[in-house]
Amino acid sequence: MLTLKNVSAGYDGTDVVKNISLDVKSCKNLSIIGPNGCGKTTLLKVIANLLPFRGDVEIDGRPVRKMKSREISSKVAMLAQTSGIYFAYSVFDTVMMGRYLRMDSGFFGLPSTEDAKHVTRCLEAVNLVAEKDKEITKLSGGQLQRVFLARALAQQPEIILLDEPTNHLDLKYQVELIDYLKKWAPENNCAVIGVLHDINLAMQLSENILVMKNGETQAYGKTSEVVTGNLLEKVYEIDVARYMAQSLKRWESLRS
Amino acid sequence: MKTKAATAACASLIVVMLGAALGSVSIPPGDIFSIISHKAAGSPLPAHIEPALVAIVWNLRLPRALLAFFVGAALSVSGAVMQSVLRNPLASSYTLGVSSGASLGAGLVILYGVSIPFMPAFTLPFLGFLFGLGTIILIMAIVTRLDWQMENITIILTGMVFTLFINAVTMLMSALSREHLQRLIFWQMGSFSMKDWQAVFILAPAAVLGTMFVAHFNRELDIMTFGEEQAKTMGVDLKKVKWILLVTAAALTGSAVAFVGVIGFVDLVAPHIIRKLFGSAHRYVVPMSAVFGGGFMVVCDLIARTVVSPSELPVGTVTAIIGAPFFAWLYFGGRKKKAKVV
Repeated sequence: MLTLKNVSAGYDGTDVVKNISLDVKSCKNLSIIGPNGCGKTTLLKVIANLLPFRGDVEIDGRPVRKMKSREISSKVAMLAQTSGIYFAYSVFDTVMMGRYLRMDSGFFGLPSTEDAKHVTRCLEAVNLVAEKDKEITKLSGGQLQRVFLARALAQQPEIILLDEPTNHLDLKYQVELIDYLKKWAPENNCAVIGVLHDINLAMQLSENILVMKNGETQAYGKTSEVVTGNLLEKVYEIDVARYMAQSLKRWESLRS
Repeated sequence: MKTKAATAACASLIVVMLGAALGSVSIPPGDIFSIISHKAAGSPLPAHIEPALVAIVWNLRLPRALLAFFVGAALSVSGAVMQSVLRNPLASSYTLGVSSGASLGAGLVILYGVSIPFMPAFTLPFLGFLFGLGTIILIMAIVTRLDWQMENITIILTGMVFTLFINAVTMLMSALSREHLQRLIFWQMGSFSMKDWQAVFILAPAAVLGTMFVAHFNRELDIMTFGEEQAKTMGVDLKKVKWILLVTAAALTGSAVAFVGVIGFVDLVAPHIIRKLFGSAHRYVVPMSAVFGGGFMVVCDLIARTVVSPSELPVGTVTAIIGAPFFAWLYFGGRKKKAKVV
């Protein structure tokens, strides 16, 4: 589905991502973890064809360099980390924008009934049908995040790239979102590539994991095999055992 | 929403009629309709309508009101495009040097008597349009070379640099040719006086077709307001669409400015007012900006030519004097009340 071979990319001549190789198969989600500034978001931008890169990126066996941007967008959707809002669109209109490549909407680009139905299904998936006529400028950060996720779903992509998708979400929605995406990927024969800071959520989301540090691969493989205390200590430079012990103690006291 | 749109369209039509009816000689609406149907459809003219009234309505006021409407429409649609494509609520064709370029073209004609053979009467609008459009094409060509992604900040900064440079050239030309300076200054203030059907017949199709062409891109305009990266990931061919829309917006402004001189403010406020009333979706913003901007311009011109009659005020100053408080009332009016409730 998606293959990266020795991909390097960066800004102003400095590589932020260095020699990354990975292989994402359909229905197999991938989480990317690592400390701040390690190149996770840059890697997502390379996959979305937003940044020039060296190396090879292939989607369904075709090099993205030979694909038109419309073709790439019909296969890859991205939920970005930050989304500046300048004008107050309704929730429904915002999600409808995700249908851009799928709509056959005539000269003036008006949506069809079928598109409206699809958008409603996406809003149902993120539990926002009741808010469909609300202006997005009046939503909370969490609701807005869900609107943008619904817009990515409306694109009907094969791969969804999520950059910190749980930002602004409370615990309930974080868990619900990850559960939904875990279900969505196999049902639609797709894959989710998520950049996450929460290692628990990352492990819950995906079968495979890429651990990065300083733009390089520290570990890549099955989540259950790759993620170890030693690796996390090396990557994040913290005493994982002490942190976990403290967390467990707090949890025990909360339970009692 | 449809009722609101129909109301706005009817209001604009009434305003155009008022533009034809009001002035130093007030003419009843019934007589206006009779004169228009007589001239347009050949229906018999009632006996009480004198030929002088027919001439006032048909040769002076109606073409002037219609020209004002299409100028307002073209400028407003252009403003809506600039604000959305550049994701800047203050952006307009003027930010990107269209009026400066047009003024330079006008300066060549007014100050130095440049004239096109066989069509001297059209030299001023033609060169105004050509220089206005040429400026933005030049800016976009330079931006394409400077920045492969054609980021908005590069476009705006290049536009501002060009605007300042061209303004300086025009000022230098003016300083070296002071005897015609006053005419250039008046041109830069904008005016609809002495405009006939010829200008309407050229501008009307340009404004209507330009608006329809922009409306064709309403989904791209919606998406682009969320930023360049998001637009790209949703499949918008950013470079191509930016080129098309910015040049179309400049052509709309250029064709309006070419006939009546520089008129500001309407392109800035009309799209904002429409977003406030109809929401941000461009399927409404584009056509309703045209309708509202057109009606607003007719009202401003009516005020410009009646308030100090028989003299006239420059319409460019009226648009700002009337528009600024109206915009402030509409845009900020509700905030104080909301704050009190909280």
